[in-house]
Amino acid sequence: MSGDWILLILVIWPMIGAFLSYGTGRRRKTGRNLFADGVVIAEFALLCGLFACGLLSGSGGVSGMELHVLDFKWEGFCGLGLTLRLDGFRVLYGLVAAFMWMMTTVFSREYFGHYRNRNRYYLFLLLTLGATMGVFLSADLYTTFIFFEIMSFTSYVWVAHDEKEAAMRAAGTYLGVAVVGGMVMLMGLFMLYHTAGTLQMDELLEACRKVRPEKSGVLYLSGALMLFGFGAKAGMFPLHIWLPKAHPVAPAPASALLSGILTKSGIFGILVVSCNIFLHDPAWGMAVLLLGMVTMLGGAALAVFSVDLKRTLACSSMSQIGFILVGIGMQGLLGEENALAVRGTLLHMVNHSLFKLVLFMAAGVVYMNLHKLNLNEIRGFGRKKPLLKFCFLMGALGIGGIPLWSGYVSKTLLHESIVEYTALTLQAKAGMAVMGSPAFFKTVEWLFLLAGGMTAAYMLKLFIAVFVEKHPEKQDEFDWEYKKYWNTESRLAVTIPALLLPVMGTLPGIVMNKIAELGQPFMRGENPLHAVHYFSLENLKGGMVSVGIGLVLYFGVIRTCLMRKGRNGIREYVDRWPAFLDLEERVYRPVLLQFFPWLFGGICGFLDKYVISGIQGAFLGISGAVCQFLDTYVVETAVKVFMAATAFGSRVLDHMTDGIIVLARRTTHRQVKGHRKKVMRDRFAYAMGHFLDGCAALLNKTVRKKHPIRKSYVPNLIELEEETVRTNRIINGSLSFALMLVCIGLILVLLYLLWQR
Amino acid sequence: MNQLLLVAPVLLPIAGGILMLMIPEKEARVHPIFTELIVLASSAMIWAVLFTGREQGNGAVLFSMAGNLKVFFRMDGMGAVFSGLVSVLWPLATLYAFEYMEGDRRGREFFAFYTMTYGVTLGIALSGNLVTLYLFYELLTLVTFPLVLHDRTKEAIRASRKYLYYSIGGAAFAFIGLVFVLIYGSTADFTLGGVLNKGVPGFDTNVILFMYVLAFFGFGVKAALFPVHSWLPSVSVAPTPVTALLHAVAVVKSGAFAILRLTYFSYGADFLKGTWAHYVVLGAVLVTIVYGSTMAVKEVHFKRRLAYSTISNLSYVLLGAVMMSAAGMAAALSHLVFHAFMKICSFFCAGAVMHQAGRNYVYELDGIGKKMPVTLACFTIAGLSLTGIPLFAGFISKWNIAQAAVGLGGIPGFLAAGVLLYSALMTGIYMMTVVVRAYFPKEGYDETALDGVKEPGWRMLTPIVIFAAVILFFGLYSRPLFHFLQQTAGGSGI
Repeated sequence: MSGDWILLILVIWPMIGAFLSYGTGRRRKTGRNLFADGVVIAEFALLCGLFACGLLSGSGGVSGMELHVLDFKWEGFCGLGLTLRLDGFRVLYGLVAAFMWMMTTVFSREYFGHYRNRNRYYLFLLLTLGATMGVFLSADLYTTFIFFEIMSFTSYVWVAHDEKEAAMRAAGTYLGVAVVGGMVMLMGLFMLYHTAGTLQMDELLEACRKVRPEKSGVLYLSGALMLFGFGAKAGMFPLHIWLPKAHPVAPAPASALLSGILTKSGIFGILVVSCNIFLHDPAWGMAVLLLGMVTMLGGAALAVFSVDLKRTLACSSMSQIGFILVGIGMQGLLGEENALAVRGTLLHMVNHSLFKLVLFMAAGVVYMNLHKLNLNEIRGFGRKKPLLKFCFLMGALGIGGIPLWSGYVSKTLLHESIVEYTALTLQAKAGMAVMGSPAFFKTVEWLFLLAGGMTAAYMLKLFIAVFVEKHPEKQDEFDWEYKKYWNTESRLAVTIPALLLPVMGTLPGIVMNKIAELGQPFMRGENPLHAVHYFSLENLKGGMVSVGIGLVLYFGVIRTCLMRKGRNGIREYVDRWPAFLDLEERVYRPVLLQFFPWLFGGICGFLDKYVISGIQGAFLGISGAVCQFLDTYVVETAVKVFMAATAFGSRVLDHMTDGIIVLARRTTHRQVKGHRKKVMRDRFAYAMGHFLDGCAALLNKTVRKKHPIRKSYVPNLIELEEETVRTNRIINGSLSFALMLVCIGLILVLLYLLWQR
Repeated sequence: MNQLLLVAPVLLPIAGGILMLMIPEKEARVHPIFTELIVLASSAMIWAVLFTGREQGNGAVLFSMAGNLKVFFRMDGMGAVFSGLVSVLWPLATLYAFEYMEGDRRGREFFAFYTMTYGVTLGIALSGNLVTLYLFYELLTLVTFPLVLHDRTKEAIRASRKYLYYSIGGAAFAFIGLVFVLIYGSTADFTLGGVLNKGVPGFDTNVILFMYVLAFFGFGVKAALFPVHSWLPSVSVAPTPVTALLHAVAVVKSGAFAILRLTYFSYGADFLKGTWAHYVVLGAVLVTIVYGSTMAVKEVHFKRRLAYSTISNLSYVLLGAVMMSAAGMAAALSHLVFHAFMKICSFFCAGAVMHQAGRNYVYELDGIGKKMPVTLACFTIAGLSLTGIPLFAGFISKWNIAQAAVGLGGIPGFLAAGVLLYSALMTGIYMMTVVVRAYFPKEGYDETALDGVKEPGWRMLTPIVIFAAVILFFGLYSRPLFHFLQQTAGGSGI
């Protein structure tokens, strides 16, 4: 272990805090809540302190936004070792993460007021904070991967928190995507490590340049695999499937974090890949750009069609991630002069984190009171609730890209970068490495503006539904019964980030540029050649076009096609998204859960059942038949013959002995006939028995009065004596026979010897 | 002294097991104590050798048969790894068995053979040449056979018969390989890099390669290689301590160990690399991985699912082995060690669930995590580790295997890496479904059905917790171990 311990503490502290808070929560609920708040606030404060120190000791001074870089290394941890680093980008995203965690943890207290398993939620909330810090602080891809996986698994518990059918299914999807993504990413890491020989982020650029022309193919493949893995978490098409499912069922604070920061950890990984391995690589940029376009438009379309408050926000996240990916793609395409794209990407990341924090928490306020999310059921809830309306509006205006709010700044930068590249393609001369035609990029530009317009449209839809329209039946209830719809803590947690958005938007030159300067070295970006005038007519025009498209879409499509008259004559929102356009249900689940096991299981089962068993069966059959044959015919016959021969032989020998004995009995040992002497038998037994009986009688009278001995010893002794006599007689008889046989044998031997002589 | 220390741990449990059969059946309380004492004594001797100078001992010759054929023990790097592993696992598993087997009618017989198996496994670990290895390999079949038969049910009898057929048949193939090594090798002792001597008249490369393939599949029977694997799921009818230790650790690992010995120490990786035999065995291994992990997903019996998982994981070890490189061998050894801990831990958890709650099928496990939190937490750790999630030991060894696979290069290398990926995914599915079911039961499950179910006693819980802790420890810090493994594999000259 070497370097600055403080970085390890940044990662470990929330994890330790998680277990401590779990322990506390076993005893006191309020203590646990306060403790958890304390943990995240301490984390945020620590990061702020490090940021300030870094700025002060950095080379550029306070204004120069150049940070003194901290490093930490733990050799041998988990195999390859753990490296952490704190530089400008990392401190920025660390701060964003800690800030978001702080706000959501504070907000959680009221939101989870009536939930079960809160202790578990807090445990995994803080564990995930530690893991997320680990991802953002990681200095090599191995460390990134380790924390990335921890983050995936701990955040799974958030999604599954409700334990309802829908939640479990969504959580299953989430876990599935995470596991698949993780494994594919790991595969990419293997190949990268094998090709480049390092996973350290700052060494990757050089290492990859060295092997570049020969091993480009392997590098592209490994890059694609890593893009897949990180994209799964970021919500990139075609792995976005978990986003629209997981968000509506997850608790609102968790959704805010999932959408605001966990997706960004995926983007972080994509940035590492794009800005180190494929720095300024137009082909790579083009691929990311195309994926980004699809994600951006697909997410926006899903959001426009959705009639569920949190689902809309989730799809919007997907769409905004698409914007960021477009920015990353443009970085690759623009090559050296990608300052605008770099800044746009970075700022849109930060902005989107904050938007989603505000919007999801506002949605959480609605859900916390009504336990419903369908627009038809919650419409009108926000009327006469000015503060909530204000917060939501800030978020909506921000994400919609309205000038004076922060989203406008980043979207303008992204738009400018596309315009810049279009200009490049126009001037392209022979020999210049420019991909794509001007017409193509003109289309890209217009699609970008269209997506911006769609963003404005669906945010308008949400805002009007929740805060402007009236609920047909329950409006009075909404207005009067939910007067106290949130407590002070929650109010603070939602309002503070909401206030940040217009501040950032109105002072782009001060706030946004500083943020960009802080983070851009990570993407190897330079300051732009000339300062960007965010509020110039040219730029405002782009924003206005988007807003215009949004208005047209809202009034032309949403209010006409996506609404219909209900039974009571009130216009309702309807979900017209075709159900068959569900990648997960149509493709992924069947392939993964049925097709793969079916295919491989089938093949193996077939082999197992027919081929292997067939061979075994044939083998056993043949050998069995052979054995059977041998058994029945050869062996059995042999045994029979042998047995017969032996039996015959024995019989003959038997008869010989018998013959001798019979002969003996007839001749020498003939039984003597005549009067048999009558023997007075068993005299001894009688005497002994009577004596013993007498003893017993004596005992019965004296010692054994209670248990007298009743049996007589006479019969027992007689039996014994008879037995002895009988045995003696048999032994005598046998002995005499044996002796006689021995004698015969001796005589035979004698005769033999004599004859031999 | 050193020589005695090498022989004693092998012979002591065997003798002890035979002695145990003489203790009257009635003295049921003596059996566990006797067993544990013998097992601990042997383990202590192994550790003594491990820590005090493995290198000075030139080995101990037990007795010589004709000429080259001698029964010979030596502890080299690989032997140290395997014997060390076994000597750690066995005492703990014995402890677990005490509680699990409490009240069993045939406890004496069980513990007797359990102890003997320990000695035989150590014999495999410490064997210094192929002859000794083969001898103990055969013995292993014979002493584990009564353990499989233990329940005397119809199923158990059928399973044990199947086990016997497969093992003896496999050993016959292995024997052919052994004979060829004896004839065409310069010595029968294990030498890293192989002992084949091309100067021997009649040396035909293709014949030798064919013999290698035969021996590979022969030893592969115990390692549950694809066409000859089907005994393993069947024998999961045996009592859990047996299935866990024997069929997840001792027996199957002996197979893998024998293959590693055969490949790196007898035939030699250099000789085999790039030949047709190499690709044949590689193909078989890949098929086994896919097969095992797929069937595990389809299986709903808890212990059989784990048995299928063993099939696929064993082939991870073999995959490392058939990379025919030092990196591959080190990776194989690391997975051999880590998988032992992961699988014994998950088997013991499954056994605890069966013992405490009587649940045998995965779909019966709803909500069990709330009743047996410690057991299921350990199972989760083992499951995550098997899947290959960082922070757990399984990730390290899988990383190494995949690294070795990519190092092999070409289509086979990438194919191997792809198969690993697929298998990891399936592992995630079959392990995580259990965990998710246990902790997040489906809505409307019957909570009262699990009333009265509680954690097992300390004798079952201690081994489980220790194994989980070991998994975590190696996941976080495995550098010294891996360094040692690399040294062990380092001399193969590739």
